[in-house]
Amino acid sequence: MRAALILALCGILAVVTQTTLLGRLGILPAPPNLILILSVYIGLRLPTSWGAIGAFLLGYLLDTVSGSVPGLNCFTMTLVFAMVYFVSGRLWMQNPFTRFAIMILACVLEITTLATYFTMTGSMGTAGGGVLRTLMIEAALALLIAPLAFSILDFYIPAIARKKIHATE
Amino acid sequence: MSWLRQHAVLVTTAGLLLISLTLLMVNTRGQRRVDPLGVIFLETVTPVASLSGAMTRRLGQAWSSYVDLVGVREEREWLRDRVRTLEREVDASQQVRRENERLTALLDLREELGGMPVAARVTGIGASPLFHTATLDRGTSQGITEGMAVLARAGVVGRVVAASPNASRVLLLEDPASGVDAIVQRSRARGILEGGSGGRFHLKYIKPDEELRIGDTVVTSGFDQIFPRGIALGEIVALRSAPDGLFQTAEVLPAVDFGKLAEVLVLDAPKRDDVPVTGED
Repeated sequence: MRAALILALCGILAVVTQTTLLGRLGILPAPPNLILILSVYIGLRLPTSWGAIGAFLLGYLLDTVSGSVPGLNCFTMTLVFAMVYFVSGRLWMQNPFTRFAIMILACVLEITTLATYFTMTGSMGTAGGGVLRTLMIEAALALLIAPLAFSILDFYIPAIARKKIHATE
Repeated sequence: MSWLRQHAVLVTTAGLLLISLTLLMVNTRGQRRVDPLGVIFLETVTPVASLSGAMTRRLGQAWSSYVDLVGVREEREWLRDRVRTLEREVDASQQVRRENERLTALLDLREELGGMPVAARVTGIGASPLFHTATLDRGTSQGITEGMAVLARAGVVGRVVAASPNASRVLLLEDPASGVDAIVQRSRARGILEGGSGGRFHLKYIKPDEELRIGDTVVTSGFDQIFPRGIALGEIVALRSAPDGLFQTAEVLPAVDFGKLAEVLVLDAPKRDDVPVTGED
């Protein structure tokens, strides 16, 4: 429960940081996709039905706050969760390098999904290469800060919850 | 049932994917926005977003102020340097302008005098209060010899007392050992102008019947065969009669400021034809 609360709080803070804070500061060309990091983390640390719901809700939260089409990010984040769940069920994922590798996969999946959607709806053509470039910057920045974010989350998620999570793996 | 329990995550994920895909399709195709949880999420996030927005604004303002401050500091340093450079340039320019004025005046004097006077720069003024001399940067190599007259635009400076190939020493008119045959321009009264203490000359040996006035200009007479006639020496500022009643004496304020000498003309003794006859204007 405590882990879920922390993750929910992290989700709210991440979405606010991503959509409001960094945008206002204007120090980065595009904000890092923090929700993607959280979804990957949930896929790794909470590979349960609740984890899937968590990723879905995080995506939905991002859709609501960022003003994008409802369902777009929640579909993407649920897909990312599913991918992480599948891969982590077959490979040993506690190594930092493999966690980084799965983060790369998640970035590729996210960009592919969103780019496919934009291509299908014709948004990619009107916006030119701007959408794809923004998505890539967001993903690249997320990739850069993911190891640090994972370490911080590992520190704050209670040990009991983690044990419970490991037990389910 | 056990299959469902065993694959609960898969089933849940598939269900969520289906829901989100449906939501996406409905919102992409439909005119109306279908967003069942949007209001709840928005209400949850808004306070945090407002708080973070306020914090960001403050942070942004602080950052902007800091950046501005750094900019202002740099600009101030740059402006200070610029002011210093410009001040130096203005000083140099003023110096050049003043020198130009002096040289132009000297050139005019040279043309007035005729002949081939040598222009020289004063490189030093004697520091001794007993001997009033100046050093010039021209000497015998440039045609300067002992006894030549030294003039400035304002008037007589003195005469050369020593000359080396590239320098010469001038005995200034203010030295007590100096003496010039002089006349009062207005009355043509003749006397000998000698250097004196306190920055005043003494015009001596003037006949008692000559009329002198304060403010009269004293010029060279040309009779001494050293200085051309009519060159300014100074202005009478005080009159005194000798105790024996034989001659009058006048105190003369020098026409030349010896402390500010910069450029001078050195010229040879006037020819005999130039020497005026007594009483000639």
